Amino acid sequence: MHWPDLSMGGYGFYVWGSYLFTLIVIVWEVVSLRQRKKALLKREERSPAMRPTVLRGSTNETTS
Amino acid sequence: MNLYKYASPAMFYPLAGKMIPWFAIPATILFAAGMFVGFFIAPTDFQQGDAYRIIFIHVPAAWMGMFLYVLMAIYAGIGWAFNARLSSMMASALAITGAMFTLVSLVTGAFWGKPTWGTWWVWDARMTSTLILLFLYAGFISLQAAIDDPRRADRAGAVLALVGVINVPIIYFSVQWWNTLHQGATIRILGKPTIAAPMLAAMLIMLAACWLYSVAVVLSRLRCIILEREQNAARFAEVNA
Repeated sequence: MHWPDLSMGGYGFYVWGSYLFTLIVIVWEVVSLRQRKKALLKREERSPAMRPTVLRGSTNETTS
Repeated sequence: MNLYKYASPAMFYPLAGKMIPWFAIPATILFAAGMFVGFFIAPTDFQQGDAYRIIFIHVPAAWMGMFLYVLMAIYAGIGWAFNARLSSMMASALAITGAMFTLVSLVTGAFWGKPTWGTWWVWDARMTSTLILLFLYAGFISLQAAIDDPRRADRAGAVLALVGVINVPIIYFSVQWWNTLHQGATIRILGKPTIAAPMLAAMLIMLAACWLYSVAVVLSRLRCIILEREQNAARFAEVNA
């Protein structure tokens, strides 16, 4: 094991830039999925009459 | 136990919910492990210096972009041929994650190309065909978004996805068929890889992490799609009652 040289031998911008971009993309995907789900479940609560069959009988789904 | 019952979206929805943590948690652990091996154990490359460390994300992302496309086309094809709704929904759920991995492979490739080749981009066969892959994903996503009726959207998407599959072997073999700036394959299905063991290990751990991550996000997007379609169907029934 060795401690990585943070400057990456002069390639720091390129190496860290790559990983930072990947991280941003992953965070964006996870956050946008969470928001999509939240919006769907909110729409559920507003009109329970149109509650789809997938959620019938499993009320804990709305809180998760 | 009757496994066929899970082909119904309503039955699959809770099952998918239970499966997500089993993929998301190992994915996080493996991402951390892959980064550790890649930065603390793998030595500095003698030709490329530390710039080569970009491959730990670049190569897995490029593979995922191609694998997920093939998977998307298979699901879309099955959904079309057998009128299997869940299969078509799976294809739609795969598209965004596949497009993201393709984008990551293009951007990280540019970050690698600039210091190594001296240019962010060239119209090299492999890079151009990978860009086409991104356009195919974008086409699939926007085509589906443009059609209101979900089953018609599924069929149109399936045609596009299946026609576009021809691009995947073109990407894969591009480095052999044409004289490209992009280097040839480092890891071969047959024969020894031309890479040091810790470098290979970091890359394979990151690949496993990317797979597990993909399963987790695709399942959670699939749940959203099931819910959306069920809600819209319920609304439609209400209006026409």
